[in-house]
Amino acid sequence: MDNEKFIKKAKNELKEAYDYDSEDPLFGLAKEDISGDRLSRRTTLRLLAAGGALTLANVLPGLRPSVAFAGGHGGGELKCAWSGVGEIVTLDPAKINQVLQFQIASNVLSGLMHIDNSLVAQGDLAESWTVSSDGLNYTIKLKEGVTFHNGDMFNADDVLFTFNRSKDPEQSIHSRVISNVKELQKLNDYEVKFTLSKPQASFLTKALERASGRAMTIVSQGALDSMGAAQYGLTPVGTGPYKIVEHKQGGSVVLERFAEYYDPGRPKLDKITITPVDGAEPLAAALEAGDVQYVGGNPIPSQLIDRFKSNSNLKVDIKPGPGFQSIWLNPWRDYMRVDSFDKPLDELKKEKGFQVRLAIAKALDRDLFIKQAKFGNGYPAHGSINPAMGFYFDEDLANVSEQAYDPEGARELLAQAGYPGGKGFPEIKLQTTPNTKRDGLVVANILKQVLGINVIVDPKDFSVGIEEFDTMDYDLRLGGSGGDYDPDDGLVDWMQTNSKFNGRKRDKSKYPFGFYSEAESDAAADAQSLVADPQERRELVRKANRITSDKVTCGFLYHPVDVLVHHKSVQVPEEARIPGLHELDRISLA
Amino acid sequence: MSGYILRRIFGALLVMMAVATLVFFMLRLVPGDPIAAMLADAGSDEARDALTKKFGFDQPVIVQYFKWLLNLLQGDLGTSLYGSNQSVTNILYEALPRTLSLAGLSFFIAIAIALPAGIISAIKKNSAADNTVSVFAFLGLSMPDFWLAILLIIVFAANLQWLPAIGYVPLSSGFWEWLRHLILPSIAIGTGFSAIIARMVRSSLLGELKSDYMRTAAAKGLSPSSMVVVHALPNAMLPVVTVLGIAIALLISGAVVVENVFSIKGLGRVLIQGILNRDYPVVQGAVLLISAFFVFANLMVDLLYAVIDPRVRYE
Repeated sequence: MDNEKFIKKAKNELKEAYDYDSEDPLFGLAKEDISGDRLSRRTTLRLLAAGGALTLANVLPGLRPSVAFAGGHGGGELKCAWSGVGEIVTLDPAKINQVLQFQIASNVLSGLMHIDNSLVAQGDLAESWTVSSDGLNYTIKLKEGVTFHNGDMFNADDVLFTFNRSKDPEQSIHSRVISNVKELQKLNDYEVKFTLSKPQASFLTKALERASGRAMTIVSQGALDSMGAAQYGLTPVGTGPYKIVEHKQGGSVVLERFAEYYDPGRPKLDKITITPVDGAEPLAAALEAGDVQYVGGNPIPSQLIDRFKSNSNLKVDIKPGPGFQSIWLNPWRDYMRVDSFDKPLDELKKEKGFQVRLAIAKALDRDLFIKQAKFGNGYPAHGSINPAMGFYFDEDLANVSEQAYDPEGARELLAQAGYPGGKGFPEIKLQTTPNTKRDGLVVANILKQVLGINVIVDPKDFSVGIEEFDTMDYDLRLGGSGGDYDPDDGLVDWMQTNSKFNGRKRDKSKYPFGFYSEAESDAAADAQSLVADPQERRELVRKANRITSDKVTCGFLYHPVDVLVHHKSVQVPEEARIPGLHELDRISLA
Repeated sequence: MSGYILRRIFGALLVMMAVATLVFFMLRLVPGDPIAAMLADAGSDEARDALTKKFGFDQPVIVQYFKWLLNLLQGDLGTSLYGSNQSVTNILYEALPRTLSLAGLSFFIAIAIALPAGIISAIKKNSAADNTVSVFAFLGLSMPDFWLAILLIIVFAANLQWLPAIGYVPLSSGFWEWLRHLILPSIAIGTGFSAIIARMVRSSLLGELKSDYMRTAAAKGLSPSSMVVVHALPNAMLPVVTVLGIAIALLISGAVVVENVFSIKGLGRVLIQGILNRDYPVVQGAVLLISAFFVFANLMVDLLYAVIDPRVRYE
């Protein structure tokens, strides 16, 4: 196809994508369009258009690496560094507690579903699925003829085995993810039915997704029985595109192409070696020297990004990352005490404690923070829904939120609270981890400059910091979430009264709630979880997001970026660019 | 002699036991929840409760201690609390060859630099050679090993691309591959130690060179090289061996930062990661092993005295 034809086709697709009634909750799509085994190109473009995320790059193949580009010749060996980690402690989905672990496991084990680069769930081991009209029953037809790396055949019994293992809190740390499943039935060898206690819009992307969910990432009963859980943690057996041929504690993980993978077009590479690398300079040296050609794992240290960009042998691709980081404000400290958030905003604004909280949130010069702490790599955050979620992300929030940067307003609020120019305000501590100490110092400096208050940065090991966070024993804490692919990850996990981090080990007689509790946003967050209609869900997500932003659940700081760095010889197609993940089976060498 | 060795081994075991007991209780005084570290952002309250019970943290500390002690006496160091609950023995078994390789090569480099430098410095006292050795010794002592490690990486890995910047390859994969992965970290660690040992060799040898028996040797017409190598050096090695014994133990436990820079998961990193994760069994096992190196290195030094100096006899 020549260029003219390309452009004509792209124009038609753009026109078609936007051709729907804005009042129609399904954007002119039929229900069948958004269920089944995959989304059509037309449906995907329509959803992107409805979410305001459609760009020319989505329709012009020449502007992005496409399937054709992905077809670089098969075979070869890729050497990867996994950044910011000393060892890959486990790859057993039941035990995985770090993104960098499931980035690898996701290439070895399959789930029933797997998100694509638009964060939409697609069938993995699920051939197709139907959802009952009440949203309580998910009937899933499984792919047939799929084998595990050890030769065992995959069928419904493996789904049941995985489910039973994952719901046992002694065996799995992810039992919470499937706590809404009332029952799992085997209908026949290749069909299962999940019955939920209540509808859950995120069920496919959160509970059944192979990477971020981890509860229904299918494990091999035969391999677990024969090698034991400890060895399975090092060399798990799955049905994924790669099998692990070597992994000793503290050493590299060596993957080899699984020839029997259900998709004959993947994987493209023969062998992948993943070496954990801790420290910025060794990572840079290894990449620049060609010891490794691709970087995964924890986010690449911000100070290296410009250095890599200036290296003509390397390619740096930056996209919005799935997460948010915040300054958490303890509402039980006297100077920023709020006994109840269940009041109209205007009333709350008259309370001294809330005035201090809002002053801190308004004082956060997010652009300056991103420039100084993240070397320009990040997006200002005003809510927990991140830009990688596209359709659900609220671009207007930055302008309309009470938290929008306003140094004058912040100083005024602090003065109203009785601390003009920060005078009389107590010295407070900002808890960070050792790795985020620099970020904390930048925040402390901003608060000093804008509000005149003294903030002492207090780095704590994660195990100590999380204990203080859980028991509400902190003033300010810098932290947040990663791997948020669904609004539930941002709202249900963080912004609700019963969220898992909301002061879960607090003394309930002293603190009726943790860092936040507000009935209206709780209700909106609950409601969005139950609604399957994307448009309706988006409205509820935005409502919850705006309330939690305005009422200062925390001082939202930034959304991280997802930075991919690799040698130019490595071809990474657009469909492999799922934020926070590494689709190594789609990658090839030039 | 054998009675002495047995007594010392028994004493060493007691010391190790005391160290391990101390670490057991001190770890539990350190703030930080191992279950929280294990669950990170994943766990439900049910998972937290189930794991607390599974690992016995719901029991009194003294009960936990005696259970651990009983298992230890049966050779069971327990399992890691973190990840897939690997056996601590297995974790240490994987880490030990890396640490021993690194420590061994660093020790070799340290000796290879220190002995000639110390000898030249002593026999050419106050010469340009002595001053040069002294300057390099002070440089070696002053440079933090992690800084030298990063410099080496930048020059030899990133710029010249002669040697790999990261990783460890076991000896079973080939001598050259093993060696080239260890050269840079070993130089980073060995340089500092070579400075200490060179200064020790110099001062000890200077003392011996001034002794009466050296004057006698000169009067008998022995060549200067024979005087130094055959007579003075063996006697000068006695204090040096003491330092070497401690150096070996320090090399095994103290290479944490350099191991980190070169992404080598040795004993040091096992220990640090264990502490960060509040992984009690791993920390206890690693401390026990490292204390074993310390006490047995000291025992070996004491026994070597008898070999080097015939006047030393153990009854």
